[in-house]
Amino acid sequence: MSFEEETETTPLNELEQIEINLLLEGLYQKYGYDFRSYVRTSLSRRIIHRMRAERLPTITALLEKILHDPAYLERLLNDLSIRMTEMYRDPSFFAAFRNEVVPLLRDLPEIRIWHAGCATGEEVYSMAILIQEEGLAEKTKIYATDINEKALRSARKGAFPLEKMQQYTKNYLRAGGKKAFSEYYTTDHQFAYFHPIMEDNLTFAQHNLVTDGSFNEFHVILCRNVMIYFNNDLQQKVHRLLYNSLADGGFVGLGSKESILFMPPGLDYEEFNATERIYQKRK
Amino acid sequence: MICLVLALLIVMNRMTALQKEVDFVSQHDLEVHDLANQIQKNMLDMETGMRGYVITGDEQYLEPYNQANRSWLDNYNKLHSLLAKNGSQQRTLEEMKPLIINWVSNYGEAAIQQKKAGNIAALNKQFNNHKEEKVMEQLRTQFTSFLTKEKKLTNERINELRQNNTNLKITLYALVVVVTVITLATAFFLSHSIVNTIREVVKTIHSITESKVDLTTRIHVKTKDETRELAEAMNSLLSSLEKQSWIQKSVTEISLIYQGITDVTELSRAFLTKLAPMLEAVYGVVYLRKDQDDDTVYVKAAGYALADDQTAASFRLGEGVIGQAAADKRIFLIDQLPEEHFKMTTGLGASSPRNLLVAPILYDGRVEAVVEFAALQPFQSQHLTLLDVLQDKFGSAITSVLGRMEVERLLGESQVLTEELQTQSEELQAQSEELQMQQDQLQTTNEFLAMEKQSAEQRAVELKKAKDELEEYSRKLQESSQYKSDFLANMSHELRTPLNSIIILSQMLMENDGEMDMDEVKESARVVHTAGGDLLRMIDDILDLSKIEAGKIEILTDEVNVTELPQMLQNMFDPVAAKKNLAFEVVTAPDVPDVIATDGQRLQQILKNLLSNAFKFTEKGSVTVRIELAEPEKTAEYLGTNRREPVLAISVTDTGIGIPHDKQEIIFDAFQQVDGTTNRQYGGTGLGLSICREFTHLLGGALTVESEPGEGSTFTLYIPSRLESEKPELLAREEVAVSLSEPVEQEEVPPLEDTSSDEQIFKGKKVLLVEDDGRNVFALVTALEKKGVAVQVAENGKVAVDMLQEQGDFDLVFMDIMMPVMGGYEAMKLIREELGMHELPIIALTAKGMKGERDKCMDAGASDYIMKPFNINQLFSLMRVWLTEQVESE
Repeated sequence: MSFEEETETTPLNELEQIEINLLLEGLYQKYGYDFRSYVRTSLSRRIIHRMRAERLPTITALLEKILHDPAYLERLLNDLSIRMTEMYRDPSFFAAFRNEVVPLLRDLPEIRIWHAGCATGEEVYSMAILIQEEGLAEKTKIYATDINEKALRSARKGAFPLEKMQQYTKNYLRAGGKKAFSEYYTTDHQFAYFHPIMEDNLTFAQHNLVTDGSFNEFHVILCRNVMIYFNNDLQQKVHRLLYNSLADGGFVGLGSKESILFMPPGLDYEEFNATERIYQKRK
Repeated sequence: MICLVLALLIVMNRMTALQKEVDFVSQHDLEVHDLANQIQKNMLDMETGMRGYVITGDEQYLEPYNQANRSWLDNYNKLHSLLAKNGSQQRTLEEMKPLIINWVSNYGEAAIQQKKAGNIAALNKQFNNHKEEKVMEQLRTQFTSFLTKEKKLTNERINELRQNNTNLKITLYALVVVVTVITLATAFFLSHSIVNTIREVVKTIHSITESKVDLTTRIHVKTKDETRELAEAMNSLLSSLEKQSWIQKSVTEISLIYQGITDVTELSRAFLTKLAPMLEAVYGVVYLRKDQDDDTVYVKAAGYALADDQTAASFRLGEGVIGQAAADKRIFLIDQLPEEHFKMTTGLGASSPRNLLVAPILYDGRVEAVVEFAALQPFQSQHLTLLDVLQDKFGSAITSVLGRMEVERLLGESQVLTEELQTQSEELQAQSEELQMQQDQLQTTNEFLAMEKQSAEQRAVELKKAKDELEEYSRKLQESSQYKSDFLANMSHELRTPLNSIIILSQMLMENDGEMDMDEVKESARVVHTAGGDLLRMIDDILDLSKIEAGKIEILTDEVNVTELPQMLQNMFDPVAAKKNLAFEVVTAPDVPDVIATDGQRLQQILKNLLSNAFKFTEKGSVTVRIELAEPEKTAEYLGTNRREPVLAISVTDTGIGIPHDKQEIIFDAFQQVDGTTNRQYGGTGLGLSICREFTHLLGGALTVESEPGEGSTFTLYIPSRLESEKPELLAREEVAVSLSEPVEQEEVPPLEDTSSDEQIFKGKKVLLVEDDGRNVFALVTALEKKGVAVQVAENGKVAVDMLQEQGDFDLVFMDIMMPVMGGYEAMKLIREELGMHELPIIALTAKGMKGERDKCMDAGASDYIMKPFNINQLFSLMRVWLTEQVESE
């Protein structure tokens, strides 16, 4: 039986499981990227996708390439860490944030927001616009981090394809945007470029949720649709990291399909808005 | 030269003479010697032959004789003629002739004749007198002297020849010396003159070579001979070479500039910059061919020393000199331009170039470009030649650069498309991945929740059960207290009745003082006895019932032989039937199993009770017991579904008084009979059916009644075989996993539009502007049309809706809000709802500062809005967004 014959849906055989384990272990030992605690099903799909894209017969062959050729590493990393995101994704979340969370932030002398796993930055700019519209831009610092350097480079540019802007506009309006969305961007024939928004107070940096620790105390942490790729242990670990990075009374925002059911015990959150997955750390 | 020829002639003559003499000596002398020797030999042959014959007589010897005799005269004559120039020798020879003849005739012939005649004596005489020998001797002597003399003559001639030869040699040597001297002298003179000139030429050539091919050097010759011609030819060659080399060099230099240039304008500029100084031109301009639809236009691409506004921007084919040059494909050389044609400006002033050169650049027979140069002095032939040579090169360079530009453009485009495809595929992958993950997460959550829900439900069920149980308990408690009070009431009543009679009768008997007769006493005692028996049965029944209720009745499941049942029942009730004159029969269906598992004793008890009742309430007719397999629907009805073990249905049918419908439920309750009076009529504790039902329940069966008052009753007992587990086995349901529909992979990549230029976003798009303010209309239409957008205007919402209804192919609508007749909100609502155009992007134009307008717009169905006054770039940005075909998201 050859590997090519297997379809996506075929469950991995034992050998492939071993190979994937070895690959992840190799990736960690050689480069320090720790995907060992990611959900295996997703990882396997992505690794096999990469293996096929590189026209390699086995995962072991992919491992060999990765250990010896950094070009392969970058492509695999990109595959493993690529995420879907859009501006004002789940507009109701941003609406709730605007209407319910922002009033509570208003009185703070300084607001620090952390986008953990910001990917290509769509949400970061969404948040920045929102903060600006709420008149908090002066005292707000947004930190956007992701493991994927390529995604970060893209995020820093703040250029998003025109082909998606109609959806973004709709999202913006649904999320309660106060102005015309077109006031925030200029376009060319390919991209919409967002004006330098909160430029001084917007920081992009690489950060690995799996291996890196807390780097500040935040009033808001958004970590949406990031942990769904993590296995339960890692989710708990990241939850603890987020909890420990949160100021008392701070808010954490999760993805619409994520719940705190899997949080480790002992994290004292109050369900601030359960439908929008906004939780508040008890004081 | 003449001397030389004369000398040669003399020598030649002398050589011929000498040759002749040598020939003479060699031929004549040799022949003379030869012939003399021949004659001598002839003589010898004759003598020998004659003597041989004479001696032997053999005729054979006569042969040489005769031979010699015949030939000698010939030889003699030949010799004689040869010696014609030598008289003394001729005379000597003539002197010998008579001697020979004498010998032949006198001696030779004679001797032979005599021999023939056999005249030996004569012969001997002849020989003896030796005369013949003397003749012979004489002859020999003469021959010898002749030969000697001849030899001497020959020697003399040879000596003479030698002398002549020596003379000739000397002459020759002298001649050679003279000629050599003359030649050398001449050669020296000539060579000196030639070498000098050639040296000069060579020197010049050397100097040209050494001075790195300075073709401007010329050879200067003072002489007026062929060498001068050579030098002049050389000079003209040099001039031609210089021109050629200049052209070559210029071509090479210009060819070099093409390298690395990827833009045709830059190429033109570089070409001009390089070529203009070469042509000594002060101005230059390049027009490149551009195909516009069907028209060929030559558009200015680059200028040399020109201000932008100094030249015409483009020419059509045949238009002006440029166009004409392109049309005719020929060079135009114009001199003596009028001064006002053109001014060359420098910092210090202006002057007019008087010479103009317009040349088409041909490639593959097509005019790719036209160049024009202006110079202060006339153009020279090499300039034209250079242009001619460059035509092809520049043309091919333009074509190749254009080709390269096209390839690069296409490459760039394909790169963009590839990247886009890559990005999209990655996004799609990520999207599907995330969907998958979300689904997984959702599933996990659902599972968790389901589990939670399940446990909650379970708890609820348990609670409900507990509650029900509690209620049941309380109900039962109530019931049981009711039951108890009822029971007690009933029991006291039931017990009191016989007890009452017992007490009264026993009291009567006790107080009997003889006034009761024996019959009365007997009757009383019988009643007391019966009452006591009733009491006892009643107490037994009550005990049974209380045992059942206390759960103290043990069910002993055992194999019961069904075939034995009828016999047993017959045995038990035949006497009763006979006594009451009733028909009694037990019918067993053939498909009844022989054996079932149940408690036989209790079964008997139930049947006994039922039959007792039947006989008790039946006065005439019959009592029938039917044993058969229960019908499945009945089983299902009474015992629940999924019974797999066999269930017996044993029915007891009587033709008795029957039970009224409203009483059929209560007859199973304790102490209940159809009516109080029946008790009296029929007796019995009223507990029988209660006990039956309890027992039936204990056996896992059911007891039903069907009755019609006055016609009889049928009690049917359903008894399951309890061999296997009492509880119905749950069907092992296969857990059908809810197949979570995989997220539909977006296999289909949305068509990639060509986004290579901004123009393509706007050009040809159809926009409807709904606006009543003329100033705004004007501003917007102007701006949009500049972008190549086709704009139509509607002055109010009503008109807009009508227009959209008529032509549905607008790409975008700008909608003002406050308009007469029909405002923006209403129009948008109509467009969305009435016209059903949900996808058409409608951009609301709102007035700034009007609060709530945004929401109203959105509610009315606007896709986006922009606040007036807006800046045009913002409008274009927004339009790019709404005119770009979107990728399907989610």
